[in-house]
Amino acid sequence: MLAQVLTRVALVVAVALLVSLVVFVGRDRLLSLRTEWRPRLRQSAPAFALLLAVLGLNRIMRQDGYDISQAYGVHMTEVFYSLEGELVLAFRAIATPEVTTFFSISYVYVYAFVLVFPVVAYFALSDTVVLRQLLTAYSLNYVIGLTFYLLVIAYGPRNVMIEGMDATHLYYASPEYIHLTTEVNQNRNVFPSLHTSLSATVAIFAYMTRDQYRAWFPVAVGLATSVIISTMYLGIHWAIDVVAGLILAVVCVALAKRLVGRWSLLALLERVRAAGRSEATSGSGRKQG
Amino acid sequence: MNSPSDDADTGTSRRSLLAAGATGLSIAASGCIDRVQSVVDSDAAEQLSLSILSLPAADGDRESAEIARHLEGNLEAVGIDATISTRSESEFLEAILIDQDFDLYVGRHPADFDPDFLYETLHSTYEYDQGWQNPFSFTDTLSIDPLLERQRNETGADRERAVTELLEAIAQVKPFEPICVANEYRAVRTDRFDGWDETHLGTGRGYLGLESATSSDTEQLHALVTDQRLAQTFNPLSPTTREQDVIVDLVYDSLAVPTWSVPDEAEATEEETQAGAEVIDAANVSIEPWLATDWEWDGDTRTMTVDIREDCTFHDHTEGDSNDDNGNNGTDSAIPLTAEDVRFTYRFLADTTYGRTSSASPAPRYQGHASAVDSVTVEDDYRLTISFSTDRAVAERALTVPILPSGSDSPWIAHLESRVDSTDDDWSPTQGDWSIVTTDHAPPTGSGPYKYDSHDAGESVTLTRFEDHFTLRDDDHDLPAPTADELHFEVDPGTSSSVERVASGDADITTSVLDTYALESTLDDEAVSFVESPSWSFYHVGFNTHNTLCSSPRFRRAVSQLIDKQWVVEDVFAAEDSARPVATPVAEEWTPDSLAWDDGELVTTFIGEDGDVNVDAARELFASAFEYDGGELVR
Repeated sequence: MLAQVLTRVALVVAVALLVSLVVFVGRDRLLSLRTEWRPRLRQSAPAFALLLAVLGLNRIMRQDGYDISQAYGVHMTEVFYSLEGELVLAFRAIATPEVTTFFSISYVYVYAFVLVFPVVAYFALSDTVVLRQLLTAYSLNYVIGLTFYLLVIAYGPRNVMIEGMDATHLYYASPEYIHLTTEVNQNRNVFPSLHTSLSATVAIFAYMTRDQYRAWFPVAVGLATSVIISTMYLGIHWAIDVVAGLILAVVCVALAKRLVGRWSLLALLERVRAAGRSEATSGSGRKQG
Repeated sequence: MNSPSDDADTGTSRRSLLAAGATGLSIAASGCIDRVQSVVDSDAAEQLSLSILSLPAADGDRESAEIARHLEGNLEAVGIDATISTRSESEFLEAILIDQDFDLYVGRHPADFDPDFLYETLHSTYEYDQGWQNPFSFTDTLSIDPLLERQRNETGADRERAVTELLEAIAQVKPFEPICVANEYRAVRTDRFDGWDETHLGTGRGYLGLESATSSDTEQLHALVTDQRLAQTFNPLSPTTREQDVIVDLVYDSLAVPTWSVPDEAEATEEETQAGAEVIDAANVSIEPWLATDWEWDGDTRTMTVDIREDCTFHDHTEGDSNDDNGNNGTDSAIPLTAEDVRFTYRFLADTTYGRTSSASPAPRYQGHASAVDSVTVEDDYRLTISFSTDRAVAERALTVPILPSGSDSPWIAHLESRVDSTDDDWSPTQGDWSIVTTDHAPPTGSGPYKYDSHDAGESVTLTRFEDHFTLRDDDHDLPAPTADELHFEVDPGTSSSVERVASGDADITTSVLDTYALESTLDDEAVSFVESPSWSFYHVGFNTHNTLCSSPRFRRAVSQLIDKQWVVEDVFAAEDSARPVATPVAEEWTPDSLAWDDGELVTTFIGEDGDVNVDAARELFASAFEYDGGELVR
């Protein structure tokens, strides 16, 4: 079941990616990749490695994280509920089966596309600094988000509000997505909303690169908005999670911009190597002395 | 607790004090609350606050969550500061059964077909015990304890009278308030395996004696469960794994098994024929031999001689037995199951330290069963005598516990030895929460019709048919034998996706009970259907009687009147007739007239209508024992 859903998502995203690359990135930039992909990949390799490491950590934390949050986590479900009440039920006003389908698609497919497209699009830019910033921002989102997940135990609205959730419930509407989302997320990890923070991160980057990708900026904002609203419409996140997600996005982008380019990891590696060599020589020297 | 005297009695300061006091309500006062003595010195006014432990609605038990919300609203309406604490299933059970860290909870009680389960549920002996033994920390040594003991000791009509008295007494003091009993629903598909309606699917026997529809050689029965812990821990003593019974039943044998009779067309009473749809009869449960070939009561005494099947073995999990093509999976080195193992089991359940400590540490499950057994004497390898401290009806229920291996190869003994070796002389494990009870216990060593094969933690567990099981080997019985080569239990997060997977042919059965809203979904496939099984498991509100507020029976009675059971079964349970409201926690045939839902004179009624509480009347009810201050119930 999971494999089927994954394959379908992968296929849809691949098709959307092809189309959007042609539309937003354009032929020239794509062709430039033929000759330049190697140096660009080398430059951004540390950022890719960082992201992979963080995702791997996510994998491990799924098991051990449960025990940690069991020991140190604070239960916040009722606090959130008492703070914002039935705010997210406001979306019930626009609920129809079609709207539910739209937001289900947003939550699963659009989200996946929104995350993948900028990686390729920025790879097609001659300067890799944006790509490295984006990947670093993704990583920061995950690391900070996962830390909160360990410390804050909260169930989303769908696990608290029973009445009124039926019509807009992702799982009742399309239960096959359950497998995908439980694979990615535990149901008690809702604060902050990573769907929100990552989508918002992409939208902020779209703003920053509006000179290179003029048409992408409004599209990114639209898609990100639909993903963010979907998390509340489907009862997965509280409005508080969404606000926290937006703040997280701003913080991560700011941090990423400060970190990336300040010191090059490659240069650092060189220095470490050089230091290692001199250490080795001086070490042996000391031994002699 | 706030000091009562040092605050000026102005409206505003009282307000702020209320806000401050709402955080921690730890009252040292006695449970005796009397209105007459409460003077108007409301300086110390603190709003009463309660937390209701419950399960997540979408990924847990929607009905429990909804009942909890109903109760929260009505408690708020009468002026109590109520909050719901949502916990995952295992945390929920841990808070109630192990830590006893709760005020109120709404959930399901496993219960049993015989009212004797109330003994371990309420007897004061178990006040401080962990596990399903008295989670309410309830003590009533004057009226309830003697009745609990009496119903264990009386016979026939005398026992029925004792049970009636007991149930009436419980309905008065309300250590918990039963709300309703819901039928269990599971989705099954019949194109690969059939015969699901032969026995109760909440027990291991539901997975035996199936008819296989296909003729392929390797058949895997694919079942879905909701609780991740089912694929993590295999400890039959763990009380915090819900719906574990099926796997325990399959991996372990017991001397006897509860058996539901399917009413025969000819023999069925008119009532049963009319019921028709209900395939198995909840009322006709009998304890039938399983691992025991037979038992015989010794004259009029409470001693029974049991013969067990010969040449049965425990599953062999040693390396190198993966080659079971020849059907002989390493029998030579397998541990034989003898009368000694039975003796060990009962002694071990009564004391998991097996006499290594000064005070016994009973297992957190099966205490009702184990406490009925006085002594077990091994006569020879396959014969033993068991003396019971209870009447025969209760005693036979004790035969249904899983038989655990004794001897030097036993994982239980090995665990004990290693703990004893690694600790000091004054070793005192916490009852119900020490490692032998909490360990994963994988692989589990039983002798049952299915053998543990492998598991993927939190994802799935696979059992393989135990070819040496007596149901496959012997032909002197008509007991159901394992059909499928493999049983694959996979964790699936919820009702709707589980049903979807059965419908799409991805699974054969939803082992976990479905939320009733699923029954509204239409199944197009002829091979897919919902199977209804009667249940004695009841939804209830549990009170922690160690909580000052909940220690008052008057308070518990008043809270019970805030639950509209009729509304719950009609509105919370989506499918019609899927649940029935109850005033007492036992199976229908044990329900006394005085506690019959329709017209029993002792039935607690809801103070209000159609789920809406009559606030004035309810406040009056609470005002008779507590005090109001500006609309808030205070002490």
